[in-house]
Amino acid sequence: MRLDYANLFYIVYLMPRRDYLGEFEHIVILALVRLADRAYGVTVRREIEARTGREVSIGAIYATLDRLEAKGYVRSQLGEPTPERGGRSKRFFHVTAKGMSAVNRTHRAIQSMTQGLDLIGSYL
Amino acid sequence: MSQASPPRIASWLVDLFSPGEDAESIPGDLLEEFSDLAAKSGVPSARRWYWRQSSKTIAHLIVSGFRVAPWSIVGTVLLGYLLLVFGNSLAEEAIVGVIHLRRNHVTPYYNHTQLATYVLWLNTSILIGRLLMSLIIGCFVALAAKGREMGATITLGLVVGASVGVFFLVGVLRHWPQNAYLLPFLVDQFAHSIAIVVGGIIVRESRLAMTRRPSGV
Repeated sequence: MRLDYANLFYIVYLMPRRDYLGEFEHIVILALVRLADRAYGVTVRREIEARTGREVSIGAIYATLDRLEAKGYVRSQLGEPTPERGGRSKRFFHVTAKGMSAVNRTHRAIQSMTQGLDLIGSYL
Repeated sequence: MSQASPPRIASWLVDLFSPGEDAESIPGDLLEEFSDLAAKSGVPSARRWYWRQSSKTIAHLIVSGFRVAPWSIVGTVLLGYLLLVFGNSLAEEAIVGVIHLRRNHVTPYYNHTQLATYVLWLNTSILIGRLLMSLIIGCFVALAAKGREMGATITLGLVVGASVGVFFLVGVLRHWPQNAYLLPFLVDQFAHSIAIVVGGIIVRESRLAMTRRPSGV
């Protein structure tokens, strides 16, 4: 049997989607895992800043979280409004099972790519 | 807790640009961090931090708006542009029509001064009419782009500004320096871009006022 373009598109359609997390998505989702039920904009931003030393904006965090939520990797819920926030609610984020499997898949891919490499030694 | 408040303009801009689902959480997060920082490092330092954070946040929100809903923004901007093209000529025709109707379709005899006054009045009416039309179209685009009002109206304003800029450059190259009306034309056209964005601000502010809860809850 000869494969034509229609067959090719059908094969691509049948292939399971293996989405890997981008670098910042990976960092944000790990911050959510670390913070568990305390994860909202402020705590996520502080966690990333404390652990990576990288100053990130609240906008960057929310843009990434909204993207992750659209992919089904995280879900969010509004908390109660508080006076120190001018009566505005917190939006708490949680990692879903699909999100956890994406984290694991990305970790395995990175481990597999770095296995056997002497990354530090090659720059000395 | 510190009673200091963040820069009003910056916090107003953050409110304007925060999308519907983050309309409470983003300004609330920034305010919470500002209060903490003001208590620890002083108000001037906290205000500087707030400006830096809010400008970065707004830039991210504009870009992410295009990523999340690109076709909805492109569709509303395209619709707005078409409405603007037809709406402006409609406004002009309506104003001239009303003037003719008031005069029972008779054009009176004018001396030089009367003619100059008439032309000035006509031009001003048309300018105001078209600016109002741009404002209404800005409101319409913002209503259609629910939650992304500012992104859609700023994009439409930039598209109008860019097309006017190209038109101006062509005009300058072809008629410079004879045509003295090019610069006023440019100013007039850029006023339309601003009117469109003002329309977006009006709709966004109205929506925020409807959803805003009383503070201190």
